[in-house]
Amino acid sequence: MTSVDLFVSPLGRVEGDLDVRVTITDGVVTSAWTEAAMFRGFEMILKGKDPQAGLIVTPRICGICGGSHLYKSCYALDTAWKTYVPPNATLVRNIAQACETLQSIPRYFYALFAVDLTNKNYAKSKLYDEAVRRFAPYVGTSYQSGVVLSNKPVEVYAIFGGQWPHSSFMVPGGVMSAPGLADVTRATAILNHWKDNWLEKQWLGCSIDRWMQIRTWDDMMAWVEENEAQYNSDCGFFIRYALDVGLHKYGAGVGNYLATGTYFEPSLYENPTVEGRNAALINRSGVYANGQFSEFDQARVSEDVTHSFYEGNRPLHPWEGETRPIDPEVGRKQGKYSWAKSPRYEVPDMGRVPLEVGPLARRVAAAAPGAAAHQDDDPLFLDMIQKLGPSVFVRQMARMHEGPKYFTWVMDWLARLELKESFYAKPVEPLSGKGFGSTEAARGALSDWIVLEDGKIENYQVVTPTAWNIGPRDSLEVRGPIEEALVGSPIVDQEDPVELGHVARSFDSCLVCTVHAYDGKTGRELSKFVVNGMV
Amino acid sequence: MTSVLWFQGGACSGNTMSFLNAEEPNVVDLIVDFGLEVLWHPSLGLELGNNAQKLFWDCARGERPLDVFVFEGTVMNGPNGTGRYDMFADRPMKDWVTDLANAASIVVAIGDCACWGGIPAADPNPTDSTGLQFHKRAKGGFLGADWRSKSGLPIINIPGCPAHPDWITQIIVALATGRAGDIALDDLHRPQTFFKTFTQTGCTRVQFFEYKQATMNFGEGTRTGCLFYEFGCRGPMTHSPCNRILWNRQSSKTRAGMPCLGCTEPEFPFFDLRKGTVFKTQKVSGVIPKEIPEGSDHLTYMAHASAARIAAPQWSKEDMFVV
Repeated sequence: MTSVDLFVSPLGRVEGDLDVRVTITDGVVTSAWTEAAMFRGFEMILKGKDPQAGLIVTPRICGICGGSHLYKSCYALDTAWKTYVPPNATLVRNIAQACETLQSIPRYFYALFAVDLTNKNYAKSKLYDEAVRRFAPYVGTSYQSGVVLSNKPVEVYAIFGGQWPHSSFMVPGGVMSAPGLADVTRATAILNHWKDNWLEKQWLGCSIDRWMQIRTWDDMMAWVEENEAQYNSDCGFFIRYALDVGLHKYGAGVGNYLATGTYFEPSLYENPTVEGRNAALINRSGVYANGQFSEFDQARVSEDVTHSFYEGNRPLHPWEGETRPIDPEVGRKQGKYSWAKSPRYEVPDMGRVPLEVGPLARRVAAAAPGAAAHQDDDPLFLDMIQKLGPSVFVRQMARMHEGPKYFTWVMDWLARLELKESFYAKPVEPLSGKGFGSTEAARGALSDWIVLEDGKIENYQVVTPTAWNIGPRDSLEVRGPIEEALVGSPIVDQEDPVELGHVARSFDSCLVCTVHAYDGKTGRELSKFVVNGMV
Repeated sequence: MTSVLWFQGGACSGNTMSFLNAEEPNVVDLIVDFGLEVLWHPSLGLELGNNAQKLFWDCARGERPLDVFVFEGTVMNGPNGTGRYDMFADRPMKDWVTDLANAASIVVAIGDCACWGGIPAADPNPTDSTGLQFHKRAKGGFLGADWRSKSGLPIINIPGCPAHPDWITQIIVALATGRAGDIALDDLHRPQTFFKTFTQTGCTRVQFFEYKQATMNFGEGTRTGCLFYEFGCRGPMTHSPCNRILWNRQSSKTRAGMPCLGCTEPEFPFFDLRKGTVFKTQKVSGVIPKEIPEGSDHLTYMAHASAARIAAPQWSKEDMFVV
């Protein structure tokens, strides 16, 4: 038995600085440590500031999910201030938030993920030459249109929000804009152009309607073989290539999922409250753990900093949360190894456990029984994890599946805008209150907990999808979801461990929000062996 | 070929995302048509782990020529001057910045964080963040007031939160095609071609501004009135071409009814986001805006304002951009 420790710094292309430590035994990862390598202190900056400061500051936590930060930050204030939100404003917020995700889907796929499919690791696949032809960075036949056309959905964001990234146009009580006829026409035309030239023509090779008929894994395989256009589309090709090179065989993770849900049915959320949130959601919230569904409850969330570079020694609910950094050099002596905290969720009968968030978690939540008429009801990915098991491949497909779905929703919301009605209702601003706002950023559940006192922010805690997925071990020494997903990955070439990149990137983690890999068996400090044998 | 290395310090990737929105030229055109060689970029780079580290060290030691070093995000000095709040490729990012800035022919700071410190440097600046050659408006920053790159140029600042893709691509193309001499910088090292005009230049509500007609409510913001009087819009005091070249080819914050936050200026976020300062005009005696358009004074402003209010035609009090 040969065992080596690998330290990969930086892992790259995960947005922000991720380092990974892994132990590899006989060519398979047996333990992993993910290290977020940067701290910016945004929660500390927000303390004592104007209640609306989060609308300006939190989008700057992440330029990729900036619109998602704005969205949940705004709902945190809506719930704390007990505002009325006109239906038009809810529709505009939905449209903008969904357009940010529509941008992220191809941009993430081609620029961040598919590039690795051209790795020489896969040269023996008979589909390799075709993968290089399509996905090679900059010059691949699919790369350019996929990356460049991804700027189209955010043009729609700019029509409503002035610009993307980094607008702050959503405010408690509504939105700042009041779109006119030309804005709606233009937004519809831009999205149709994007659908015609990328989503249907290049990615699916079929109509959105045809794709949405897929309800099971067997349906999906039949779809690939149905005709040449689907077989040869980027989606059809990706499915065939992923199965050929084995992306469905590793990267399972914890197998337990959390979605906090997003997009509201306007008539059901005119007076946003924390309690009324789940029932008003279109993209459902929910927890799936140990094979059981349960309802999401924000009160069950806590953050653990046992292995994070912060002071404190007990898990705290975010309303009571603390952010007190310590020097990493001091922290390492206490067994700490990441700037990410470890969010955990109290699952009935299971205790506090790590949960995976992201597109796959959302798709699993969408398969829960009991969907209301306005809610997403989609059994496909529960079927896929039951038949195939979760993996790098399934996680990728969950992400891509959301493109056609959200596109259809945005078109519906655009059609429902009542241009002569109001987009904003001025709220009465209380001096104190508590709020909770949450959404699904492209990469998963993203939430704010705010406490207001004396007309100022007393406490502001942001729990990001990255923290959920990339967070380190907790006080019970339980690995975070990505650490767990790395375990079991085969490493073909230790000089170029592309499999580690696949697993981390399949979570599309965004480290500017919140990663290094260590030994899972003992928790000891690893030796200084680094990739390529450099010491 | 012009070699470009792009690093992110205390950054949110907003400038990178903005850069990917570029269309004329787009990011692929830059590589294919303009001969840029992107040695590595946090989102677009291919190498990981030690392969990446080797590339960085080759540049840092001058063994591989580096034409343009692009930096996004703040330089973090904390805690206690160690830089350990931002470790990258196994060493403090600030040490990479020192080495790579000194090795490169030209250094470009992209976005507010790299230019002035931006949001991470807002009070209480928990990470001891600063910009490459400025801290807020004070010259100095991480590299010092007198620092010059190998080509003799100071840091070229392309501010904004984020910087507009055209500002980034056009300056990088100018550098790549030997036009560095054509870039005139202002006293904050910003290219004048973009930052001489005001955000207000080209704003569709400028006629409301002229007649002192205020937007009184959000949600009507795209249609009626000017955001300067009540909602703290900084368009008349901010240098940027946001309304000349538009964002995402479609709009701008002020056109969409959002007050300009002044994000290309070193003071952003203004008033450190203190209570009562967000989306609210700061006033003297509850009436006169505390800050008035650049080059004016309060007396002249008040005279102009009262005349303008008297002169205001009926249409300037109505919804001009009706459905």
